[in-house]
Amino acid sequence: MITVTLTVNGQEETHSIEARETLADFLRERCNLTGTHLGCEHGACGACTVTINGLPARSCLTLAVMCEDRAVQTVEGTRGDPEMDLIRKHFHEAHGLQCGYCTPGMLLAARDILRRHKAPGEATIRKELSGHLCRCTGYVGIVEAIRRAGAELSDKS
Amino acid sequence: METTGDSWIGARVLRKEDERHLLGAGQFVGDVRMPGLRDIAFVRSPMAHAKLKGVTKPEGHEASVFTYEDLGPMKVLRTSPDMPTFHSAHYPALATDRVRFAGQPIAMCLASNRARAEDIADLVQVDLEELPAVVDVVDAMKPGTIKLHEDWPDNAYIHNTIDAGDMEAVAKIAAIKVKRRFKMNRQPSVSLECHAVLAYWDFRTGQLVVYFSTQGPHVMRIGIAEALGLQEYQVRVIAPDVGGGFGGKNRLMPEELAVAALAYKLKTPVRWLEDRREHLIASPHARDHYYELTAYADKDGMLLGVDGDVYVDAGAYPMWPTAAFMETSMSARNLPGPYQARNLRARTFTVATNKAPMGPYRGVGRPGACFAIERLMDEIAHELGIEPVELRRRNLVSSFPYETIGGMKLDTGDYHASLNAAADLIDLPAIRARQAKGELDGRRIGLGFAMYTEQSGHGTGEWVKRRGRIIPGYETATTRMGADGTVELLVGIQSHGQGMETTFAQIAAHELGLDPSKINVRHGDTSISPFGFGTFGSRSIVMGGGAAARSSRTLGEKLKKIGAHLLQCAAEETHLKDGQVHGPNGSVSIAEVARAANVRPDLLPQGIDPVLDVTMTYEPKESAGVFSYSTHGALIAVDPDTGAVELLDYVVAEDCGTMINPLVCDGQVQGGVAQGIGTALYEEIPFDDQGQPLATTFADYLMPGSMEIPNIRLAHIVTPALATEYGVKGMGEGGAIAPPAAIANALTDAFKDIRASFDETPLTPRRVIRALDAAKARVQTGEKP
Repeated sequence: MITVTLTVNGQEETHSIEARETLADFLRERCNLTGTHLGCEHGACGACTVTINGLPARSCLTLAVMCEDRAVQTVEGTRGDPEMDLIRKHFHEAHGLQCGYCTPGMLLAARDILRRHKAPGEATIRKELSGHLCRCTGYVGIVEAIRRAGAELSDKS
Repeated sequence: METTGDSWIGARVLRKEDERHLLGAGQFVGDVRMPGLRDIAFVRSPMAHAKLKGVTKPEGHEASVFTYEDLGPMKVLRTSPDMPTFHSAHYPALATDRVRFAGQPIAMCLASNRARAEDIADLVQVDLEELPAVVDVVDAMKPGTIKLHEDWPDNAYIHNTIDAGDMEAVAKIAAIKVKRRFKMNRQPSVSLECHAVLAYWDFRTGQLVVYFSTQGPHVMRIGIAEALGLQEYQVRVIAPDVGGGFGGKNRLMPEELAVAALAYKLKTPVRWLEDRREHLIASPHARDHYYELTAYADKDGMLLGVDGDVYVDAGAYPMWPTAAFMETSMSARNLPGPYQARNLRARTFTVATNKAPMGPYRGVGRPGACFAIERLMDEIAHELGIEPVELRRRNLVSSFPYETIGGMKLDTGDYHASLNAAADLIDLPAIRARQAKGELDGRRIGLGFAMYTEQSGHGTGEWVKRRGRIIPGYETATTRMGADGTVELLVGIQSHGQGMETTFAQIAAHELGLDPSKINVRHGDTSISPFGFGTFGSRSIVMGGGAAARSSRTLGEKLKKIGAHLLQCAAEETHLKDGQVHGPNGSVSIAEVARAANVRPDLLPQGIDPVLDVTMTYEPKESAGVFSYSTHGALIAVDPDTGAVELLDYVVAEDCGTMINPLVCDGQVQGGVAQGIGTALYEEIPFDDQGQPLATTFADYLMPGSMEIPNIRLAHIVTPALATEYGVKGMGEGGAIAPPAAIANALTDAFKDIRASFDETPLTPRRVIRALDAAKARVQTGEKP
């Protein structure tokens, strides 16, 4: 067992874990942050996306011990964040979710896309979103939500 | 919120279920926290077919490993259909003396977390004596093939023959005869949340509480209680947030039953969260249809009949409550599609092989049937040199009601309007002009159409015909109004992405003159909602929506009676609107009426009982179902050297009758189409000749992503149903039915100069090249396609 300390959504979390424990299991089972969902556990679906020191990462492929002293943010940590609330509003209005399982990963991906691209168009969004699977929506509402959010953010800046 | 006039029916209301998911606060089974909860890992068969001679528990872990014998006596659940010609078999919670597919659960291991449970599972020794695997569906039926179930006469669950009309006569007179073999390969449903179950014994209530990622909690309770020998009231099934189902979560899996049995035995909380590998290998599989068909048409392209064989590879066991037999019968009955052909002959075989058992998946038999008939229609068109759209125009059913030769009673619609709308939306003339010019990049452009009808909301009569042991002929709703005039609408269906917490609130709002924000829809818990069969078969808006309409309307009548008393007028003079009971000379708020009914019985008129709580069931007037339909149009570019297909455009012109919420309907169509595109181009679990599944991760099982799915464009036609509340028709499955046919027709169109024929899904680059090579070889030998 290894004792690991990382910052999760601004709070220090110290737990004694097995070296093989993934960040996803650490967040879900130790920190009870169940907004991070597991869809494949081999890095293909993107549902478990969190940020580590501000950059998106697959928490199913990241070992918790690799995150010692790093800052992890999960979807729960984005509550109240104005940029994320705006993205959420557009997911709601553009019907960008159905069952909601892929949604946390999609939201974190959306924020990352919009930080790197100003008011992206459909083609850019689709390319950037290609590492995230949704089984319900056919992506139409998700792509449209990100497009609208990008347009509104760009109007504001 | 946007409304149309003063009605909530047809309003594009944004979804109530969004907020929790957008906050990461949804509650799926894996999110449920329970002190002392332990995880389960299954030991699964590495072989497709073998005698199970023994299981050796690892030393020191004997108390953490469980076999069938350890789970205690379990009753064998009897599956539908209930007919003497159907051969059934016991699909045990854990294998007993034989394993019949690679991945079948043999033993379960319990530990403080899943990783440790898997460590134990790795140490369990399983003694297997391998048997030959039955892999090919046609070979399975050949004499001398080893039988999966020794007490069956052969490997068929059931065979059947439909013979309507006079095929012999048609074969003699038909000017056009097109013969083809079609194959739609095997896949699971791939909900993003895999299967999940958590169970514990609640000592306070004396109940086995089962959190269950299922589409039908009430029906699952029946199965669990019966199998474990419990009273039904001793089992509470809760389907919390369910991360997609698509049919795959509408069967009781052996793993799920085993988890419930273990929790009952140990009286401690245990859970199993299926991982993606388990999902791909051992969850209910679907599709896997094979057809050998001949279509007959006259010289004008009028379809005269369809004749041939339909094979469905239903895997190793029948699942509870209903085995896969409906695949073949639905497929055969849907072979005439939306067309006026009057002859149909089909020999059908539902076959057992050493593969995971088949369950339902969005569309059930129809994607295969649609693929077959729509490909045949295009082949007839190409044979005659007619535009495929024009060929369809000539053949479409145009007056309603119309009973097809397959016995489908098409109720209402305007099929020509749908076809025309799809052709207009995709711009047929512009595409033909573009094709004539050719592409600069050397690719070919292809345009394909496909049409289907979608039977929905079928009632008791239809399910009796299908010989079910459970007849999902109705749904139930309770409308309950509190003292403040707000409503809990409790329903027996289950919503797992379909937005029914919103659409059902719209229905109650419409009936009660309230805003949907005053209505909370609850479902998915056998202790909360009234009995219902759950969500499948495009039935929920017809059945559950109808029940919600009835119970809310009846409650509204009571509100009017009490309101009339308070307003000193007659109930007939009142109406409900904007949260008020309006009379000729004034109004009283519904909240005031609700207060009287609940906590001020002194204010009630004589003869009116207190409390506002109405439970009603509903079954539509027509038990044969109401039929949604649509036309799909796919525009593709295909590289003739690599076989790579790109979707350039995809349109759907659909009619699902009255839409309760067009936003939700659009989402259902688009999501269904994306799944259909997966079936058409990407998704497949191939098997080797020993029955080993060859796609066990998302690295080798290809899921369509945002780059593979185009912007799916929609046109709506609204022809209300006559037999349902508001004129609704079910529509959840439709999107997934037509894409394989439309895309294969687009490929066939792209290469119609060499009459290449694209007849097997998914149409991978390899299969495209193979079809092109076959066509080129035919051109050289002068052989007819």
